[in-house]
Parts: sequence; structure tokens; C-alpha cells
Amino acid sequence: MKKTTKKKEEKKNIAVTVKDLHISYRGLKKTSIRASWKHLGDKVEVFEALKGVSFEIEEGKILGIIGQNGAGKSTMLRAIAGIFSPDNGSIDLHNRTISLLSIGVGFNKKLTGKENIYLSGMLLGFSEEEISAKEKEIIDFADIGDFIKKPVKTYSSGMYSKLAFAITAILETDIMLIDEVLSVGDAKFKEKSYNKMKELISDTHRTVIIVSHSLDTIRELCDEVLWLEKGEVIMKGSAEEVIPKYEEFMSV
Amino acid sequence: MKKFFSNIKKYYKYAVRSAKAELKSEVADSYLNWLWWIIEPLCFMLIYTFVFGVIFPNNTPYFASFVFIGLTAWDFFNRMVTGSVKLITNNRDLVTKVYIPKYILLLSKSFTYLFKMGISLMITFGLMIFQHVPLSIHILWFIPIIIILYIISFGIGMLLMHFGVTLNDLGNLTNIVLKMVFYLSGIFYNINEKLGTKNPKLCFILLRANPIAFCMNELRKTMLFAKGPSIEGLLFWLVIGLILCAIGAHVIHKNENSYAKVI
Repeated sequence: MKKTTKKKEEKKNIAVTVKDLHISYRGLKKTSIRASWKHLGDKVEVFEALKGVSFEIEEGKILGIIGQNGAGKSTMLRAIAGIFSPDNGSIDLHNRTISLLSIGVGFNKKLTGKENIYLSGMLLGFSEEEISAKEKEIIDFADIGDFIKKPVKTYSSGMYSKLAFAITAILETDIMLIDEVLSVGDAKFKEKSYNKMKELISDTHRTVIIVSHSLDTIRELCDEVLWLEKGEVIMKGSAEEVIPKYEEFMSV
Repeated sequence: MKKFFSNIKKYYKYAVRSAKAELKSEVADSYLNWLWWIIEPLCFMLIYTFVFGVIFPNNTPYFASFVFIGLTAWDFFNRMVTGSVKLITNNRDLVTKVYIPKYILLLSKSFTYLFKMGISLMITFGLMIFQHVPLSIHILWFIPIIIILYIISFGIGMLLMHFGVTLNDLGNLTNIVLKMVFYLSGIFYNINEKLGTKNPKLCFILLRANPIAFCMNELRKTMLFAKGPSIEGLLFWLVIGLILCAIGAHVIHKNENSYAKVI
């Protein structure tokens, strides 16, 4: 086992290995105390979101995941980010840092933007020192002027997403997971954030997984595409190979 | 257990920061802001002292301080229990978007409650001086007693936090239990005085079987009446508290990845 992985890593630097990943929603279910007595010993309904998905990504590659709603795309991203544990199978990140690009995690709306940079950043797993080193860069990128010193609840929704985007974009990790948040804010910031995103993504050491319904985005950014359907992999290959087949499938 | 401590170490700073953030945001837009942290316990103390010191008179000396010590301990426990039941559901955003050991949420909350308890304790000391309570070295026992109270509350909190995820109506049940504990703990009456001679057995059970009543009684004994605490009682509840914490941490480690799927 050890030997084979070593061999592989010599050939190409694997960043993420997902092996036979099964995730189902069950076990813990919301109930009341009374109902939990009644259902003691009942069989719980199991919904399998992922049924044995396996794939690998090399370091520096960009993987796009496509599929219909409910295909298990977001579930997979969350599993890779470590928010869920797999019911079966394994996910190996080969000791790399990872983050799920999500907007405004842990924001406290009554506090100032500056304070929220720290709250959110620390939740994403960065230390106080790392954040304070990048604080200026974040504030500059967010570009919301004096509002950075005002409570977040006074922000317009555009400003909110600008700040939130800046935090996640500037505090970077080895592996980035992106769930449909490629552009936020007004037209100008949209372009800026899209370009920043592209810059982050195209860093040769950064591995990226993108979930998107926009096939144009996927075509433009991704080296490889994984097509999921009802929790199973239908196809994996280059964008030119997979996307036409997916379009064909969807138009039927 | 090793994982528990390494997680605490790793996320300790976040817990402190988020506790500070919460305290700040609590007072951010109220008119009297942080004064409420003083006014609230003070007013409750006045109410209880009036009702149970004047309307139903009793012979307990330093009654206002007596009530205040009870309230200080009770408020902390009450907040920990009520706060933990809905803790995960209330932090839906966090739980579904990033990984964080879930007891860090409780840890952070507990820091805000500890802070409030600290204020409450300072008022207590002020009141004790005002009432000319004779000071003795035994007062220092309040530190270990509060640590034990904290450990017990944290253990119970972790368990409630876990069950609160799946049981929607756990809050109703804890409310009833809390009410019961509130009246049975002798916050505004002296269990020893009311039952000590009439029904010593019941008195003993009430004071020993209920950790809150026990902690309160020990706090009063050491702080007001210049007596030493019951060491074996303290050790007993310390052990129970540690066991609760160990079970709680274990249950959360085992289940925390599923929480995001449920809420």
C-alpha cells in the first residue's frame, strides 16, 4: 500500500485522492422527544447522496464538477472540506491546507468590518498573526472605504459580499473549493473578483475544485471535468470531451 | 481526550475572540450598554431579598449577600444549560460551512457567561463589605468551587448540545428541569435553616445530590460563614464533572460530522 502511493507521487504530485466515497443522510434525524420513543428501533430512511465516487487530482490542476441539481456536487465539496465525514471510503489531502470558499462565515453583523476579518479568518483556520499580516491587503481589495470601521449591519449587500469575498480570496490555502461564487458586487467589482479568482485558480501550486452550473465558466477555467449524476461518476476527462456529452444529455 | 485538548489549544484564541465579539455586540446598541450586566443581577437580588427577607422573614444573616451568591452560581449554570440546547442550530451557518470542533462553540459561549459571573462576583464582594461580613481566609475557596461548577456545567452543556441537534423539543424539557432545580437549590432561602432540624435527611439529599445546590452551599459556607468546605463533596463532584466532560467530548467527536447533515 505504502509503496504504491509513493510510486504514484513520484510520477505526478497528487493533491486530492478520493476513494470509493459514500455519503448518506441518515442516522441523526430531527425528531421530538415523544416521537423518538415511538421510533425506537425503526429503520431510518437512508438517502445516499454519493455512491462510491473515486477520483484523483494532481497538484495545480483545476477540476470542475458538473451535474444536475441533487447530483451530490455540494455534498462532495463539503466532504472534501472536512465538514462531513464519509460513511464509507476515504479522502486524502496529502497534508495540504484546504478551504471551502464561502462568503461571510462567522460574521457578527453588529461588529465592524475589521473585527469580522479576524473572526472569519480565524474560523477558516488562520492564526491571528497570519491575518494581521494580510489585513491591509484584504481591506484594500474589498475597497469599501471607511465602512471597514463601521458595523457590518450598516453595509449594503454589495459591500458585504465584497468584504466577505476579499477575506476568502486573500487568505489562501493549497486547495480551494469553490461552490458557485465566481462573481459578487457591482459590475466593477465583479470583474475584479473574477480576475482575482482566475489569478488564484491559475497559480500552478494551487489545486482547485469548482462546482458550477455555468458551463462557460467550467470550459474557460478547468483542466478536467467530473460529471456526477445521482451520486455516481458518469464521466471524467477534459472539458472538450465531457461538456458536449453533458449538453447532449441535458437537452434530451 | 487527547484530541479534545489539542482542539481546545488550537481554537482557544478563536473562542476568546468570538466571546469578546459577542459581548461587544450585546451592548453595541443598547442605551445603558454594559451597565445592564450590573443592573440586571442587582435588581434580581433586590427582588428576592425583599420577598424572602421582608415578606417571608428568615434568620439567615447577611441575607442579601446570601441571595447574591446563590444568584451568581445559578445564573451561570442556567445560562450554560439554556445556551447549549440550541447552540448548534443557532450556528447553522458555521456548522454547515466550515469545520470547527463543536464544543468550541460552547467554550466561547461559556467565556461570555464566565465574564458575567465575574461581574456578579465583584458585586458580591462589594455587598459583603457593605454588610460587614467578617472576612476569613476561607473565602479563597470560591476559586476551586467555581472551577468545579464550570466543569460540571460544561459537561452537561456538551451533552445537551448534542441532543439538542436532533430533539426539537429538548428545550421544553430542560426548562422544566431548570425550574425545578431553581426552586430546589435554595437560591432565595436557606435549605439548612428550613429543613436542617425538621427533616435532616431531605436536607442532606437536597444539598448533596444537586450539584448546583451543593456548590452554592459551599460558596456561602466559605464566603459568608468563615467555614471550610466539604472536601470530599468537592472531590466527588469534580470527578462527576470530569466524567460528564469526557462523555460529552466523546459523544460530540463521534457525531459532530453528522450535525451539518441534520440542520
